[in-house]
Amino acid sequence: MRTYLLKRLLLVIPTLFGAAALVFLIMRVIPGDVALLIFGGDQAGHIDPKQLAAMRDRLGLNDPLIVQFGRWLWGVLRFDFGASLWTGRPVMEELLIRLPLSLELALLATLVSVVISIPLGMLAAARQDTWVDYAVRVISIGGLAIPSFWVGILCILLLVIFFGWGPPLEFASPWTDPWANFQMMVWPVLTVGYRYAAVTTRMTRSTMLEVLREDYIRTAWAKGLQERAVVIRHALKNSMLPVVTLIGTELAFLIGGLVVTETVFTLNGVGRFLVDAVAHRDYPVVQALIFLTALGFVVINLLVDLTYAWFDPRIRYR
Amino acid sequence: MRLHRATVTVLAIIALIGIVAGPAPAAETPRRGGILLAALGADPPSLDPHQEQTFATLQPVSPLYSTLLQIEPGNYPNVIGDLATEWKISPDGLAYTFKLHRNVKFHDGSPLTSADVKASYDKILSPPEGVRSIRKFHYSAVASVEAPDPHTVVFKLKFPSASLLLNLASPWNVIFPKKYLDKDPNYFKTHAVGSGPFRFKGRTPGSMFEGERNPDYFVKDRPYLDGYKFFISTETSVRAAAIRSGRAYIEFRDLPDSEVEAIKRQLGDKVVVQSTPFVINFGITINNTRKPFDDVRVRKALTLGIDRYTAGRVLKPLTGLRDVGAFTRPGTEWAMAPAELEKFPGFWRDAEKSRAEARKLLAEAGYANGLKLTLKNRNVKLPYQDWAVYVVQEWRKIGVEAEHRPLETAAWYADGRDQGNFELMIFPFGAWVDDPDQLLSPHTPNSPQNWNRSSNPGLEDLYQRQTRALNPAERKKLIFDFQKVVLDNAYILPGLWWSRNVVHWAKVRNYVAPPSHFTNQKLQDVWLAED
Repeated sequence: MRTYLLKRLLLVIPTLFGAAALVFLIMRVIPGDVALLIFGGDQAGHIDPKQLAAMRDRLGLNDPLIVQFGRWLWGVLRFDFGASLWTGRPVMEELLIRLPLSLELALLATLVSVVISIPLGMLAAARQDTWVDYAVRVISIGGLAIPSFWVGILCILLLVIFFGWGPPLEFASPWTDPWANFQMMVWPVLTVGYRYAAVTTRMTRSTMLEVLREDYIRTAWAKGLQERAVVIRHALKNSMLPVVTLIGTELAFLIGGLVVTETVFTLNGVGRFLVDAVAHRDYPVVQALIFLTALGFVVINLLVDLTYAWFDPRIRYR
Repeated sequence: MRLHRATVTVLAIIALIGIVAGPAPAAETPRRGGILLAALGADPPSLDPHQEQTFATLQPVSPLYSTLLQIEPGNYPNVIGDLATEWKISPDGLAYTFKLHRNVKFHDGSPLTSADVKASYDKILSPPEGVRSIRKFHYSAVASVEAPDPHTVVFKLKFPSASLLLNLASPWNVIFPKKYLDKDPNYFKTHAVGSGPFRFKGRTPGSMFEGERNPDYFVKDRPYLDGYKFFISTETSVRAAAIRSGRAYIEFRDLPDSEVEAIKRQLGDKVVVQSTPFVINFGITINNTRKPFDDVRVRKALTLGIDRYTAGRVLKPLTGLRDVGAFTRPGTEWAMAPAELEKFPGFWRDAEKSRAEARKLLAEAGYANGLKLTLKNRNVKLPYQDWAVYVVQEWRKIGVEAEHRPLETAAWYADGRDQGNFELMIFPFGAWVDDPDQLLSPHTPNSPQNWNRSSNPGLEDLYQRQTRALNPAERKKLIFDFQKVVLDNAYILPGLWWSRNVVHWAKVRNYVAPPSHFTNQKLQDVWLAED
C-alpha cells in the first residue's frame, strides 16, 4: 500500500508539469495579449504605443518564453501563483473568493446526483424491461440530452414569469445566511445534479445488470435470500467500482467546469473566472487554475482508487 | 370701495382659472433613504477610472468621487461645476482658472484642495512609470496644471483647445487625495477614497460592489439614497430577469428591445424605459494598404452596397442600431445635416441607384464578376455580429461575397490594431461625450486608433485646425470638411449609430439617461419613491 501510494504521488509531478507546460504554451500561441485589452476597453480605444510598450515590458510579456515559464514555475514551487495581469490582485486571493461557491455547488450537485442516480439505476436494473425501467431510462436520457444551462434558464424564467421571483444575485455563505444561500444554490444544484444523475444512473443500471448475471448472484437467489439482500448487499456493492470512478471524475470536473451554469445563475465561481481569464489573456490566472484543477483531478482520482479496496476486498495495492 | 371691488374681481378670476385649470402638478418631494439596486454587465478590472475605460469601472465608482466639472445631470451635454464653483478663460484661450468649493472633505476626513486636483491631473497628463493613462490624448493642449492657492487651479495651454472644457467635465477624471498618490500612484486601483456623494462600502470581485451615503458630502441635502449596490452578471438575460424579479431596480447600460418588451409586458407601469441615442457608431474599417482595398473605387462600391436606411429600421428592434449618420452623431451640433449627408456615396436615399453605381465601380476596378473578401469581427453578438450579418447579405446584392469571421476580443485587437491582419473589420468608434476631437480621432492618419491605415496629410491638418478653432461656426465647417474627405475616399465605412434602453423601476426617480452610459452616474440626485 505504501509503495503504491508513493508511486502514485511521484507520478503527480510529471502529470502536473505536463499540464502546466501545455497550458503555458497554448496561451502563448493564441493571438492577442492582455496589454492590448487593458488599453482597448469596450471599443477600439485609443492606445498610446509608448504606454502599450511600457505595459508589455512591465508585465514581463517581452521576456523569452523560457524565462517566463521558469519564473512562473519557481513561483508555483513556493505556492505563489503571481498576480492577475487584468486586475493586479494576487491570483490566490481572487481564487479564494470564488472557490467556496464552486466547492459548495460541486459537492451538493454531486450529492444530489448520487441520491437520485444510485437508487434509480439499481431499481431500473432490478426491474429490467418493465415500466419502471422505461421510466428511468426516459428520465436519464432526458438529463443527458437537455443541457443543464438550458434547464437553468427555463427555471429562472418560469420563476420570474409566474411568481415574480428570481434567485438572489449575491452569494451568501451557508454559515452566515443559510436561507439566502439555499435560495441561491437550490436551482443550480438541482439542474446540475439532474444532469450528472442522468450519467450515473445509466452507468449504475448497466453495471448492475452485468453483476446481476454473475454466478454468485444466482447462488444468492438459490440460497433463498430476499431480493433486498441480493440486490443491495451482493449486487450493488460489487457494481460500484465504475460508478465511484465516474462520480469522482464528475466531482473534479464540477469544481471548475460549470461555466455556463455559473453565468446563468450569476454565480461567481471558478469556471466563470477561468473563462474570463482566457478571454483577457490573463496568463497567471489561467495557468494557476489549470494547474490547480489538474491537481484536484489527480487527488480525487487517487482517493477514488483507494476506495476500491473497500468495495472489493480482493483488490490489493502494490 | 372701488379698489376693494376690483380686488375681489381679480381674486375671483384667479380662483376661476384655478378651478378650470385644476391644481398645478406639484413637484414631487424627494424621499430620503433606500438602497438603489442595479445590475452591471461586467466586473471592474480595477477601481481607478484614470486607468480604465470600461463602464464596469465607471458606473459603480462614479458615485464615490467628485470631478472638477461635470455634465449637468438631466441636461446633457451642458457643462456645470462640480468641485469648481466658477471658472474664467483668458482672452487668448491659453489659461483656464477654476475656483474650488471650500470645505470639501475626502471620505477619510482630510480637506480637498487644489493640490489634490493638480496631483490627479498630473497623474493623467504625465503618468509615472507603471501607471497608465487611458485618455491622456484628450489633454494634449495642456502644458501644465498649477495650484497658486488652496482653492484655485489653473490649466496652462500650449494652444487653444475647443474641447478642453468638455473634457474637464469627464467623469473619468475623478479627484484623488494627493497624499495617497504620493505613496503609490496605483493605490486607487484597489482602494477608493473620494469626496463624492457616497463612500465605498464593499466589493466582492466578480459579484458585487456597494457604496453608502456620505454624510459629509459638500452638496447640501444630498444624496437622497442611503446607498447603492451593483450586482454583476455578464449575461443579458440574467440582468433582465433581475429587473423583472425586482432583485435589481435599474440597468444603466442597455437592454435589447426583446428583453424590454418582456419586462414591460410583465411589469406594466411599474417600470420605465428611457430610450436614448448612444455616442457609438458601429462601422466597418477597411485595411487601405491591402489590395484591392487600396483602390478607392472598391472602397466606394462597398459603402454604396450598404442600405443604411433599411438597416436602421430592420436592426433597431434586434440590436438597437438605429441612426444613420457620418462620424459625428446625428442630431448634435456637429452632425452633418441629412440633406448634406445624402449627397455622399452610401447615404443616397435610392438603394437601387447606389447598388447600380457600386456594380459599375467594381467593374471598372476589374471585379465585374464579383469580389471575395473576409470580414473579421469580434465574437460579441450584440450588435457586432448582427451588424455583420446584415452587411454580408447586403454586399451579396452587388456581387461581393464576404466571409464573416468572428474572433475573440484579444485576437480582434491583435489583428485589427496591432498587425493589420485583416481586409475588413467591424469597428466601433465612440466617445464618452459628443466631442468631435474624440469622434474624429480614429480616422486621422497619425492616430494609434486608426486601424484603417490610410494616409492623407490633409486630414491631419483639418483635425488639428478644428481642435484649435474656438469659433463654433468655424469649427463646424472644419469638421464638415474632415468628414467630407473621409466619406469621399471611403477610408472607413460608417455604419449606424447605436441607441440604448435604460430600464428601471418607476420608483427610481430623478434619473435621466443621457446618450452616454458613462455620464450622470454620480447618483447624488436619484431617489427611491418607495423601498
